[in-house]
Amino acid sequence: MSDIDIHHLAAAYALDALDVRERAAFEAHYPSCEVCRADVLDFRSTLAVVAEAEAMAPPADLRRRVLEEIAQTRQLSPHLPASVTDLAERRRRHRRTIATVMVAAVAAGLFLAGTLVVDGGDSPAYATELAKVFDHADARLVTLDGDGGGRVRVAWSGGAERAVLLADDLPEAPDGMAYELWLIDDSGPVPMNVLDGADDGEIRDAIVMDGGDGRVPTAWGITLEPATGSASPTGDILYVSTV
Amino acid sequence: MAESRFLRARRAARSSTSDNTVTDDPLTVLLRRAGRGDQTAFAELYDSLSPLVHGVVLKVVRDPAQSEEVTQEVFVELWRLAARFDETRGSVTSWVATVAHRRAIDRVRSEQSSRDRVARQVSNIVRDYDDVSDEVESRFERVRVRRALERLSGVQREAVELAYFGGHTYREVAVLLEVAEGTVKTRIRDGMIRLRDELGGAA
Repeated sequence: MSDIDIHHLAAAYALDALDVRERAAFEAHYPSCEVCRADVLDFRSTLAVVAEAEAMAPPADLRRRVLEEIAQTRQLSPHLPASVTDLAERRRRHRRTIATVMVAAVAAGLFLAGTLVVDGGDSPAYATELAKVFDHADARLVTLDGDGGGRVRVAWSGGAERAVLLADDLPEAPDGMAYELWLIDDSGPVPMNVLDGADDGEIRDAIVMDGGDGRVPTAWGITLEPATGSASPTGDILYVSTV
Repeated sequence: MAESRFLRARRAARSSTSDNTVTDDPLTVLLRRAGRGDQTAFAELYDSLSPLVHGVVLKVVRDPAQSEEVTQEVFVELWRLAARFDETRGSVTSWVATVAHRRAIDRVRSEQSSRDRVARQVSNIVRDYDDVSDEVESRFERVRVRRALERLSGVQREAVELAYFGGHTYREVAVLLEVAEGTVKTRIRDGMIRLRDELGGAA
């Protein structure tokens, strides 16, 4: 699946006509793609008009059953709004910080098992990387659970030897600290990449997984580490998924 | 028929609004209140939107008893998610239609894979009848949608309808029609662009 292809899935996505794998790939892509987001919005409201033309009242007693059930159903809390300061400035800062971190990591002689190939807050390049991941039958997408706020997902494929991290509304890391992503397999946590939360909390990193096929993650985790990164986790696990 | 209760409730909600949120769209106001746990507001939403939800569910799922279950699931889902509705990402109607369609699709696809059909009790279907002006209004809307669909090319309409109402993925549509997947993707995309130009979006 090429980068262009993924943009052309908006109509099929709005129709719920994608299979599970493509749906996951598109959902990982479109929230940060202005064109696709607008397309999905448009197509959905058009389909709502089509749906309205099919309107049909349900049986009258369904109302009572619905109201009884909702009275016993807990509602989810709202998403907290991302703060809105100058995004462009923060993105520039983000770039600089990532570069600094990478230079520092190299200087410190740290060996990261994963190599950062794309830091794409607003670049379409990560979409290409993401497409490479979802081009393989073993592609997976998981959401990491955590109390830190925001939303963190990892898409990866051993076949593609790639992982793509998608984080939104991630809280800013304290001064001198940075988030670090870990692939956890039978041998324990393997450092994948130092992430930077000083941006608007949006991170789109594509990472080449050395060992590719050989790496079978049993979980993904994120900890807070000194900004230069750690070879093994020292901080608490803030976000984690089992696979 | 019943979808015009939707229009009626929209009007009613417009006149009974006492909320001081920034939006004045009546359905958005009701949903905001529902998001804060207001069950009365949710009941009003149900009255406005249940024909839309049930209509699309029925069209996809077909079986009346199963459709009823799915319609109920959709409303419980809407209740759970009410506080997370984001009006910058489309209207309430558009969001509700999306949730309803997704649920219906999930039901037919899981049904297809499990194949273990349980005997279901078919409940009585009681229809509501509407007053004449609503009837006219809704008939007009139906005609408008039908005409828009008719203006698509035959192959575009076929692909869009097999996907949306048939609940098939575009790959499955390609197998059904014995054409290449890329061809179906293009028909779906061109068809949806055309529909959008003809119909615009929901208010």
